[in-house]
Amino acid sequence: MNEILIKNGFVYDPINGINGEVLDIAVRDGRIVDPSRVDPSRALVIDAKGKVVMPGGIDIHSHIAGPKVNIGRLMRPEDHYLTNKPHKLPHRRAETGLTVPNVFRIGYEYARMGYTLVVEPATPPIKTRHTHEELDDIPIIDKAAFVLVDSNWLALDLITEGSREFLAAYFAWLLSVTKTYSLKLVDPGSDVAWILTGRGIDIDDQIPSYNITPRDVVREMGNAAQLLNLPHKLHIHCNRLGYPGNYLTTLKTMDIAKDISRLSEAPALHITHVQFTGYKGDSWSTLESGGEDIAKALKINKYVTLDLGQVILGRSATTMTADAPFEYVLYHLTRWKWANADTEVESAAGIVPYSYKKRSYVNTIQWVIGLEIALLTRDPWRVVPTTDHPNAGLFKDYPILLSWLISRKAREELMKDVNQRALRKAILPSLDTEFSLYEIAIMTRAAPAKLLGLDKFKGHLGVGADADIAIYDIDPKELDLSRNYEKFVKAFKKAWLVIKNGEIVVRNGEIVKTIYGKTYYAEPSIPEELRKELDVFLRKKFKEYYSVSLDSFYIRDHELRNPVKIPIETKIKG
Amino acid sequence: MSETKTHGEKAFVLNTGRSLMQGISMEAESKWSEKYFNAVAIAEMNPSDIAKLGITDRARIYNENGSVVLRIRPNSNVPAGEIYIPMGPWANMLTDPVTDGTGMPRLKGTKVFVEQTNEPLTSLIDILKELGAKNLEIHMEDAPVKTGERRTVENVVCPFCGDLCDHLIIEIDGNMIVKNTGGCAISSAKFLNYHKHRVLKPYLRHQGKLIEVSLDEALDKAAEILANSKYPLIFGLASTDIEANRYAVELAELTHGVVDNTSVFCHGPTALAVQEAGAVRYTFGVAIHLADLVIFWGCNPLEAHPNHVARIVLREGRFIKGRKSRKIIVIDTRRTPTANLADLFIQVEPGRDYELITALRMAIKDLDIEAPSVAGVPKEKVLELAEMMKTAKYGVIFFGLGLTMTGAKYKNIVAAIKLVQELNEWTKFGLLPMRGHYNVAGSNQVSLWATGYPYAVDYARGFPRMIIGVTSATDLLANGDVDAALIIASDPVAHLPRKAAEHLSRIPVIVIDAKWSLTTAFADVIIPGAYVGIECEGSAYRMDEVPIRLKKLVDPPPGILCDSEVLRRLVEKVKLKKGVVYE
Repeated sequence: MNEILIKNGFVYDPINGINGEVLDIAVRDGRIVDPSRVDPSRALVIDAKGKVVMPGGIDIHSHIAGPKVNIGRLMRPEDHYLTNKPHKLPHRRAETGLTVPNVFRIGYEYARMGYTLVVEPATPPIKTRHTHEELDDIPIIDKAAFVLVDSNWLALDLITEGSREFLAAYFAWLLSVTKTYSLKLVDPGSDVAWILTGRGIDIDDQIPSYNITPRDVVREMGNAAQLLNLPHKLHIHCNRLGYPGNYLTTLKTMDIAKDISRLSEAPALHITHVQFTGYKGDSWSTLESGGEDIAKALKINKYVTLDLGQVILGRSATTMTADAPFEYVLYHLTRWKWANADTEVESAAGIVPYSYKKRSYVNTIQWVIGLEIALLTRDPWRVVPTTDHPNAGLFKDYPILLSWLISRKAREELMKDVNQRALRKAILPSLDTEFSLYEIAIMTRAAPAKLLGLDKFKGHLGVGADADIAIYDIDPKELDLSRNYEKFVKAFKKAWLVIKNGEIVVRNGEIVKTIYGKTYYAEPSIPEELRKELDVFLRKKFKEYYSVSLDSFYIRDHELRNPVKIPIETKIKG
Repeated sequence: MSETKTHGEKAFVLNTGRSLMQGISMEAESKWSEKYFNAVAIAEMNPSDIAKLGITDRARIYNENGSVVLRIRPNSNVPAGEIYIPMGPWANMLTDPVTDGTGMPRLKGTKVFVEQTNEPLTSLIDILKELGAKNLEIHMEDAPVKTGERRTVENVVCPFCGDLCDHLIIEIDGNMIVKNTGGCAISSAKFLNYHKHRVLKPYLRHQGKLIEVSLDEALDKAAEILANSKYPLIFGLASTDIEANRYAVELAELTHGVVDNTSVFCHGPTALAVQEAGAVRYTFGVAIHLADLVIFWGCNPLEAHPNHVARIVLREGRFIKGRKSRKIIVIDTRRTPTANLADLFIQVEPGRDYELITALRMAIKDLDIEAPSVAGVPKEKVLELAEMMKTAKYGVIFFGLGLTMTGAKYKNIVAAIKLVQELNEWTKFGLLPMRGHYNVAGSNQVSLWATGYPYAVDYARGFPRMIIGVTSATDLLANGDVDAALIIASDPVAHLPRKAAEHLSRIPVIVIDAKWSLTTAFADVIIPGAYVGIECEGSAYRMDEVPIRLKKLVDPPPGILCDSEVLRRLVEKVKLKKGVVYE
């Protein structure tokens, strides 16, 4: 029996309202238990005096696995050359790669930072077996994946001709057979346009060969998500991503939450990497931050949540997205390498290497937008930090990102080096907001757990939660984090100790054990009457549209290393 | 052969490639059979060359690499001055091991000399002896099959080529496979004969003879070889599943060796080109629904991927009404059976595809082409082709080893990718490699996510490196760099130039295979494996990178494990021997 007792640490556990109190946390058989249930004479006792104890971090949006990530690895050999770390067997496999690391580095790097659950936010259904095979090989962390649906011909056919209930039933089936967790919309409808015409579309444009618009798609898929009762409803990457002036499209998309027939008070839409769709101005040279407008819109619209897609300046990136038309545009800006993959019936993807430069006007505005939104909203339960890894920045730079939120000094230090013309147009320099460690714990633990609907056993340290725990060697009572943000960065880059599922995996920032986590997927119920009708529909459409058999499409539980089904009682009527 | 080379004879250009009979014979009867000999130990020449050289039925074909006596078959589709030999050990005696730093030997476009002879034909045994094979006796057996309960399994996936057809209907009687509906001739040969010519027992080579041993003894010996090796090569992996590939990478990491897959001599150059330029890809369904222009460049799907044309070109799509709404173009050095389907056949001179691609890139930009012909193609035809490409609504190119192996090798593919990227300024266009082995694409995928590189991955320093031309299998073997080899579900002796194959006679070799490959003649340890897709479930990646789960239809022969399980046990044993375990 595996028992651990963590004594004397400053515990930050927002879901349970614990804000830096000194408490003991006990672990038994992979779960948090009441300290009285652990025998201190047998348990491994860890003295966390003067240290911060938090639940394991959760990343709601990071491209860590699947076909586009692997194309990224293939087309960026230069990404690996100077980044190698030899193995230390049996504790740790070899690591390589910066922007598109190998599976081992992904798991280890997250674990070193104290993150224990990560969501791959975009997988095309037909290639999702690949996504799972890669996720399976990422050590330590738990995972989940969102399935791409916005340009799916079957779904669009159903929006055009079918019923709302039937669309929901199709999605229920799709989530179940692809072993994915929620629905992802990327530049809604644009991959239909891309594959047919080689360009993307805006929210009120007609989707080629369909008599509907992206607005209809967001609304109807939003309605289906309500019927499905999904814990995380729609995860949306807005239309016109990457184009100056696109903040208006984002505002319109957020507004659709009002048109959705909501069946609960939970958020109806999650707008992802909002920085990329927060551009004001009508050209690159007149680009400005739309952060303030988006922050205002969020305040009056309680059914929307956001993640940042924060740009990390001075870093290279490998942009990769199902927004294939945007990658084509970006390729024309960079003129280096471009990969595109058109995927039948469902989607497409593009990959382009990129680099964010401090002196660049556009890159500085991009950096400003994410921070403005976070600081102006100051709503850590609804606005969570991401870098849309590896698009706007790398997940390994999360501690740096967080330092900009907890320390005005950290922001000002960087502002000395950025493009000053861009800064003059921004309100960021005037903002003095600084987040507390408790707010950081909300943004990186409690809020993403709640947004994913996994907060029963993830994102907190209450009895019954999974024993995913990060301990950071930093004393918040002694240290003013705002002044000493470098110490915060150092502590959060390499956690002092990390426990995953009740096992110690990191000590002093180094991996001490390679284990493998779980993969969560949603299994929404489908009424029996609809199931038969759905079966007929699927047989017909697969024959008509797909180059694989319906049978090949099913991913079975035994194919995954450690699948965990989350059954969902839906509101779909027969 | 240097003394015979100087008589001023005209050199011929040797091309090698797959043929339908090569595929069928190897799947139905094994490479040790008469049928395989008849299919592969043969050379095709233009009748005019045959007449000129006064060849009756056979000829000696030779160059600085080696010499073979083969039957000669006239074929007017082979241009004068060229000679075609199906891929196999006979062709390998002549192919060039030099990879020019690309990892890709010269399997096509090698210079050879031909003379009339009355000497006996070169037999397989002659070749194996010349290569220094360790075992010439093999223990080929049929797995026990019995009729019994009859059942039909639908949507069976074929484990032969990169098309991974998943619409097969397989009828089974007991554990005999009696009918394959939907599969091509090679697929049928594979399924219906799955039980024949098998490796049914583990073997060790002892005092020059193969002796039967227990699986555990064989695994122990294999683990010992690997654990004692300073720099082993772990190779093959294109004809087994993802799980086996995962363990192979782990083995290389454990032993500080190299893990390489067969793409090193097929589409390795394609991967190198993607590293340099990117890619523009599509899945089959996109081509089915949208492609109004289909180009086959340097590939012959009718013989190597027999269902490909029917599945993609002939099928009716959502926006394209089948064959009549598509234009088909074949670009190749010889008129292949696929070329006979084409609306336009463009014959390019061997090794000069790069020039043609460059001319096309110029033509689509309206730049003047001054030469009257490019790579043997008249200027007017180049312009016509460029116009067809630009005006297509959605054009697709499927390309094969004709483009990756010849002339500028991976630079051909870089140019082709750039051509397609540029065509996307006018219209939609994509480019897809025709992958050979059913899971060679999957081997690349596993290698990428585990190591960051698609193949030829070295762990000498404890972290992955890919130094192409150095850590690639052909180079490692031809230069004698590796001191042991583990060959998994692959037959390098049937594919690699002789100089590379010969090294296997000098180092300990472990073979894991379901059948008696030619490489088993070089093995010190032979461990039987079961067939993925027939006896084991497992996943594989189609050439368009769509992952598909292969089904298990019948139980493996008694005592025989799936490749992945053999490798899992081997990893465990190597870990113990190297002390790589948690305290």
